[in-house]
Amino acid sequence: MKLGFSAAFLSAALLAGTASAADKRWDGADDLPVNPLACSAGEANAAPAAKPYDGGRPTNAADKAGKPITLVDVPKLIGIGYFNATSKGMQDAAKALGNVTVKTDGPTEAKIDEQIKFIDNYITSGVDGILFAANDPVAIAPVLKKALSKGIHVVGYDANSAPDAREWFVNQAEFNGIAKAMIDSMAKEAGEDKSFAIVTSTFTTPNQARWIAEMWAYAQKCHPKLKWLETVEAQEDNNLSFNQATTLINKHGDKLAGLFGMTSVATPASAEAVTKAKLCGKVAVVGLATPNAMKPYVNADCVKSVVLWNPVDLGYAATYVMRAVVDGSLKPGATSVDAGKLGKLNVVNGSEILLGSPFIFTKQNIKDFDF
Amino acid sequence: MSEIPLPHRAKRVVPWWLLRHETMLAVILLIALIVLGGLNSRFLTLDNLLNQGRLTTEVGLIALPMTFIIITGGIDLSVGSIVGLCAILLGYSWKVFGFPLPLAICFSLLVGAAAGFLNGIVITRVKVPPLIMTIATLALYRGLAEGISQARSVRGYPEWFYFIGQENLFGVPAQLWLLLIAIVISAIVLDRTIFGRTLYAIGNNETAARFSGLPVDRVKLIIYTLSGLMAGLSACVLVSRVTTTRSDMGIGYELDVIAAVVLGGTSIFGGVGTIWGTVVGLAMIQLLKNGLALTGVKGDATIVVIGTVLILSTLVASSLQRRREGV
Repeated sequence: MKLGFSAAFLSAALLAGTASAADKRWDGADDLPVNPLACSAGEANAAPAAKPYDGGRPTNAADKAGKPITLVDVPKLIGIGYFNATSKGMQDAAKALGNVTVKTDGPTEAKIDEQIKFIDNYITSGVDGILFAANDPVAIAPVLKKALSKGIHVVGYDANSAPDAREWFVNQAEFNGIAKAMIDSMAKEAGEDKSFAIVTSTFTTPNQARWIAEMWAYAQKCHPKLKWLETVEAQEDNNLSFNQATTLINKHGDKLAGLFGMTSVATPASAEAVTKAKLCGKVAVVGLATPNAMKPYVNADCVKSVVLWNPVDLGYAATYVMRAVVDGSLKPGATSVDAGKLGKLNVVNGSEILLGSPFIFTKQNIKDFDF
Repeated sequence: MSEIPLPHRAKRVVPWWLLRHETMLAVILLIALIVLGGLNSRFLTLDNLLNQGRLTTEVGLIALPMTFIIITGGIDLSVGSIVGLCAILLGYSWKVFGFPLPLAICFSLLVGAAAGFLNGIVITRVKVPPLIMTIATLALYRGLAEGISQARSVRGYPEWFYFIGQENLFGVPAQLWLLLIAIVISAIVLDRTIFGRTLYAIGNNETAARFSGLPVDRVKLIIYTLSGLMAGLSACVLVSRVTTTRSDMGIGYELDVIAAVVLGGTSIFGGVGTIWGTVVGLAMIQLLKNGLALTGVKGDATIVVIGTVLILSTLVASSLQRRREGV
């Protein structure tokens, strides 16, 4: 009887899960408001209203203006090409600035609990500033607030936290901009009325969820005939990404005309899966990835568009922003910040600093990049 | 053997070297503390040590029933997934079903117990080996967590809920009190009750235990259910600490938990182990990780050190055991 109860409970829970899935044709997106861009470049976008500064502030931070500072960088995880690139940018900036020491350390898996522990330990060991890329915007907030309360400066990059848990966030590209670039490329390559699927990291990863939400909104507005098959999770795992992409190809057969890779791991793995299935030219692959990983597929004409920004620049900018915060030259209400060789970067959305528009790597330009 | 201070302990049930293993581990821990404390002045501060207690509570709560299970020669690999499932159902029942939060907490604890109960009933009735059954439910419970949550994080809990995860009580992290109480109860149960002694009997020789009229299946059912319940409790503490519910919570916990239990001298073959050892094992892993991090050792190198410590301690334990058995 008790066994019956457990079984009944579990199947009820399972039913609840599938029932709630049924009313959403797409998944992997968050529930935050979306702001799709205009369909064609010519149309003007309504300029977002200027928002007042909404970041946090450290309490009794030591005055280190112009003095040497020690920073720690805690990315989502260490040991993957993307965060190696941001880390390289930070080292470049540290060298250019001359009075900054940055160390990159973090979990070997993208787990929020581990990331929190790393940050917590660095608060105890004592640093002047923490740079982070959040695995979860809300879960990371308490530990970042703890850092602020101990007088440690906090600047985010790549993946944001709740705004009041950090001072500034360096945004590599706006979500709706990435979404537009991705959907436009797919519509152009696969066709306006074709079906596609998405390979993402996990449904709870904030960036990917945000992009998918914006892609959905933009596609509804500008390419309503595109068909959304499904979104699958593949962590940031090369093998799993390849397997998931292969499964999608086998499962949907001729219906599948395109694959989106939402991570720098999923995109090359999806391209590899399409290559192995001998479907180059039949299944379009569009995604976020670093150029070096994509060069073989782009040169073989299997992939036409790779969407990204320059992660080395992102790490570089984050370090300059941190230095400017410590020096007091970047204060709440500022409209731009000087970022060394990158020039002046604009403040958007209250407390975010925009690196620039997304960049699309193609066969013509990909050879010029090496990261 | 006169080393054993408790006269009612049967010699065969608790071999003499067991106490030595834990004493040895405690000595190593002490040395590690002194060395790491010497390398970094911020390591041996009360603030840091209490904070480490806060961080280790979730794993610690599950390590206690895991000690019981491993003593019987069993294993529970599904605990991390139960943490995920309970966390999701806590958030989901509150936000989507509209339960009041206290009821949602009770519901999620109940689910944890039910998940453990399911493990126990299949293991005892269908005679599926614990390893197989809990690998299966490791996947099943995680799948349920992901299916139910549909990738939606649940956030924005009321302020009072953060008490257990983030506040202090008499200067000590609130969840650490919970862990301390659980430790004391588990130690008494294991050491001073018939139930506790039955666990050793099952681990030493299950057939003999059955012939002695011990309620083997009922005892097993209880410990697997307890394991699920404690994983549920751990989920509540975790959600309260990190303020958000995600379906990937608790991934890999089973390994942290088992590492602590085994490092603490509990034999994976059953029949041997103490709560005291598990507590030392937990402290050892957490403080090593923390101490190494504070001294500037990077995350990936820390994992290597922890792995090495585990292997070494197991080697020492088994060589001591061989010497005792005269092999």
